Formats: sequence, C-alpha cells, structure tokens
Amino acid sequence: MKLGIFVSDYKPSAQILERIEAEKLGLILVLNGVYHAVLKDGAELLEKTPHVYALSEDLATRGLSEDQVDKRVKVVNYDGLVDVMFNEFEQLAWV
Amino acid sequence: MGVLTIGCFPGLVGSGVYDFALKLADAAAGKGHKVNLWFSGNASGSIKAHQKHLKDYPTGEKHLTALLEKGVEICTCEACALARGVTKPDAIPGVQWNAMHWYLAKVYSTDRLLHIGGE
Amino acid sequence: MADVKLAFIVQRPQYKSETSRLGITHAISYQTVEVLLEDGETITPTLCFLGEGVLGLTKGQKAMEAYGITSTEAHVKNALLVDLDVLVCKEDMARYGIPEESLPNAEEMGADKTIQVVPYSEIQKAISGAKHVLFF
Repeated sequence: MKLGIFVSDYKPSAQILERIEAEKLGLILVLNGVYHAVLKDGAELLEKTPHVYALSEDLATRGLSEDQVDKRVKVVNYDGLVDVMFNEFEQLAWV
Repeated sequence: MGVLTIGCFPGLVGSGVYDFALKLADAAAGKGHKVNLWFSGNASGSIKAHQKHLKDYPTGEKHLTALLEKGVEICTCEACALARGVTKPDAIPGVQWNAMHWYLAKVYSTDRLLHIGGE
Repeated sequence: MADVKLAFIVQRPQYKSETSRLGITHAISYQTVEVLLEDGETITPTLCFLGEGVLGLTKGQKAMEAYGITSTEAHVKNALLVDLDVLVCKEDMARYGIPEESLPNAEEMGADKTIQVVPYSEIQKAISGAKHVLFF
C-alpha cells in the first residue's frame, strides 16, 4: 500500500515510525514536524524514505525559509498537500 | 474529485492541530473535493456558538461557518459535546450531531481518511 | 463495494488522555454503523495495541472507583464481546515486561473472542490489509 505519514512533532516518540513498512512510504512534515526538514538534529528521519514533504505555511509560521530546507524535502502549501494526499498515497496516518 | 474525511480529536482553542485540520478541510473543499469533518473528544467543544475571536485565540466558529457554507459536512460526537456542557441550542447552526458510527459510515465510502487522534 | 477493512492502532497509554479509550469505542461502533450504510455494506475493524499503547490493558483496573469512569479493561471486554479482533504487540509486551496472563478476557460475559498477543508482523498485516488506518 502507499502510506503517507503525517509527522507533527519534532522528534516524535511514536515508535511506529521505526517499524512500519509500505510499498511506498511518505513522510509529511507539518506543524513542529517541519523542524526535521531544517535541523541537522532530527534529519535522520529524512533517510527513511525519498518521499518527504514539508508544509510551507508551517515553515513560514516558524520563521523558517525554504532556503533552509533540506534538498531531499519537497515543500508544498495546503493546496499542494491536498494533491499529495489524493495523488501520491492511498492510506494516510497521523502519528 | 474525491472525498476526504477528517477525524479531528484535539480541539482546544489555541491548538495548532485543530487549526491545521480546518485549514486542510478548507483547502480540499476549495479544490472541489467533498469533505467530511468529524469532531470527537476535545474537538467537540469547538462547535459551541458565540465564540469570541481574539487576536491570539484562533477559535473555530468563523472557520466552521465558512466551511459549512462551502458544503463541508461537519458532525460532532453528541456524547462528547454534551459531556462538555454544549447542547444543541448552544451550537453553531448547521453542525450535525450524531454518534461515532456517523464517522465510520463516512470512512466507509471516503477516498482518503486523515484521522487526527487527540493529544 | 461490500466490506471495508479498517485498522485502529492505539499507540498511547490509557487514562492520561481519553484518546486511547476513544480508539476502542470508535472501533466498537462498527456494530451500529449498518444503520447508516446500504444493505450488504459492512466494516471490519481490527483493534491493535502497540508501542506504549500496550500499557493500561491489564486486568483489575479500578478506574471507576478512583475516577468514576469506565475502565479500559471494561471497554476491551466489550470489544471482545462484539467480536472485534483485538491484537496486542508481543514484542512491546515483552519490552515493558507485561505478562500475557495479566490481560483480561471476556469469556464470563459470553465472548467468543480473546485478546491475541501477536508479533508486530501481524499488526503490520492488519495495517497493510486495511483500506484506512486510524492511529490513536
């Protein structure tokens, strides 16, 4: 299955991220989860999958610019996020 | 276009997670998708009418009303709302009241489900 | 479309927040969803506990006496009574040192189902086989 996981915390304690498998796994960084896209400490999360997205409104809210975002992360706004949810994944999870 | 169902459980005034759920619903509706929004747990308290919108308190009433006008179906868990002292006469008009099976029925036929559990 | 499979995943401990309890009660509500569906349409949920979600499942809970609320133990027994498949992660039970015998059952209430302590791989199967997943 194609599973998109929303990560809303910086360094979440949810163990599921370490174990879950999917035919296509995506990470969608929102709220405080966007810090994984800009900080070295926490960037190891980005190695889990090549399909990583960060919400632009949540970056901007936190004073983070898209220049600071790791090149492995695709920045999308809410409209773009809706497209990702419908076009790239079948299951969605908020952990 | 498809159907997006969002289950929103965290919902205190000032919750960034709640705000996210509403903005996502708005974006999806704006793109022509059918959207269902289920409130349970603390989110059910957000359907109380006459919220005062102060600058640092992004309450939901204005946004919920706008979503209803866009055709988003919004339903609160009746038991959760009543437990929080919110009764039907107090509620934002247009919000449905039902039991958990309303959510499951929407989940049955939805194309995409984002269940946001409480904190 | 006939049957839709759902995976309810409880990954947080009980009681500090109602979230984990709501995972159980939402799964149980599959019993009455048919009033809102067409003939022949059904939902088959699997209720899974993993990570810290395996905490707070042991029998002998005194939630009613202490806080006036229905215990998680009672909710889990109700889940078994309505024929829900309840899976608890074996590896996480071992990680937290929780013996399987400490888990409740609902046989005295007439339930046919019992809690299944399974390897994570079985929970992964439930997730992979579901149309939608709900993490609590």
